[in-house]
Amino acid sequence: MYKLNNMKDIDGKPVLVNIIRLSDNAFIPPDEANTDYQAYLKWVAEGNTPTPADE
Amino acid sequence: MAGTLTVGQLIPDVGTNLYLNAQQYGGNVVIGNATTQLFTFGTGSTLTANVFTANTVTSNTVTATSVTANVSSATVTTTALNISGVGIGAGNASIMKNRIINGAMVIDQRNAGASVTATTGQLYSLDRWKMFASVNSKYTVQQNAGSITPPAGYTNYLGVTSSSAYSVGAGDYFFLAQIIEGYNIADLNFGTANAETVTLSFQVYSSLTGTFGGALSSNGYGRSYAFTYTVSTPNTWTPVTVTIAGDTTGTWLTNNGIGLQVFFGLGIGSNYTGAAGSWQSTAYFGANSAVSVVGTNGATFYITGVQLEVGSSATGFEYRQYGQELQLCQRYYQLGAGFTAGWAAGSTTMGGIASLGTTMRAAPTATLTNTGAPPGANYSGSPSAGTTTTTYIPVTWGTNGLSQNAYGIFTYTASAEL
Repeated sequence: MYKLNNMKDIDGKPVLVNIIRLSDNAFIPPDEANTDYQAYLKWVAEGNTPTPADE
Repeated sequence: MAGTLTVGQLIPDVGTNLYLNAQQYGGNVVIGNATTQLFTFGTGSTLTANVFTANTVTSNTVTATSVTANVSSATVTTTALNISGVGIGAGNASIMKNRIINGAMVIDQRNAGASVTATTGQLYSLDRWKMFASVNSKYTVQQNAGSITPPAGYTNYLGVTSSSAYSVGAGDYFFLAQIIEGYNIADLNFGTANAETVTLSFQVYSSLTGTFGGALSSNGYGRSYAFTYTVSTPNTWTPVTVTIAGDTTGTWLTNNGIGLQVFFGLGIGSNYTGAAGSWQSTAYFGANSAVSVVGTNGATFYITGVQLEVGSSATGFEYRQYGQELQLCQRYYQLGAGFTAGWAAGSTTMGGIASLGTTMRAAPTATLTNTGAPPGANYSGSPSAGTTTTTYIPVTWGTNGLSQNAYGIFTYTASAEL
């Protein structure tokens, strides 16, 4: 399970910072060379949906 | 006029030089047997030549503009050896020839010698050594498991212990892997007509005997080469050498992705095995009919001294200094600490950074831990990572406003494994 982690840019718009892997609270960067991010993308492609970021 | 002058003995007086200048007139100077060309000089002697060719040399000093010897079997003993103009690279490298990192199983950052149970989550055990399993809890890996004496010259080994007597199905797989980054195999020229032959060598100790298997594979398993090796005597360190012709086809990454994967089978189902000895466009994790370590409860499989090098023969294991080996490992996983601070009430968060000790292969996955009460931190809760880069982890801490000048020390793990 994953949760999106956003921050707000200077205009107050949310920007994805990373994805939190809930099993160990690891912060996964959106880097396609990162194998954990590859696993997250695969998980999403299988039809799963991450927990939305906090408002 | 051609001819031969044979002299039985030449005994110059002490301090007298002996000059043989036959070559100046188109002939050669041969001392000793013409086939073996044996030169033996006494203490304090000096041999000076422009071109020197010999099978055996015993001398205190040899000075020559060119020295040729039977290098494949030569032993050179010297107090000082200066080599200039020699290419240090494929086939003759004496440093960084081993493409395996942590082949002597010295580094264990994650577990510090503790046992790890293999799961389908593909955990890492000792640094750079990944555990694959299609079913949970069928084997464990621990540095120096069983506390046996490592082979001479080594202090550590990776120890696999079977947790049950599991009957491996066709679709099952249990194996150890070292996944080599593409940058580190770029000179092998795999996928081209110039593909280099490589040799894999290691020492293995198992409670089981028979034909064991493994495989080499490309990124995505598009190309695989299954290999076998024999363990004849149980519970004895056995040196193994496997020579593999380079793959002239297929797609092989030479960037920071998966370059070459090396697998050691612990029990591989028939869906993932093949005949040993040739490259195939099939995903192999091992060889047909190889020993299944996970098939025997309590069976052991210990391995160390793993080396993959260019060439058709194994050379001595490349020992690296501990700091070098650790730094190589830290490109893929590292531990460290960082600091955050926020001054004055009213600030909403603390901000800080952890500078990574080694540039990592990719932006790492990070975990952060509050080191606790002062002097570690005077702020509760947990720090959060921003978007990591290959060189640093940005960190924020606290979201409810600070009531005092705040600081926090945190530890981190950063993983950019393949």
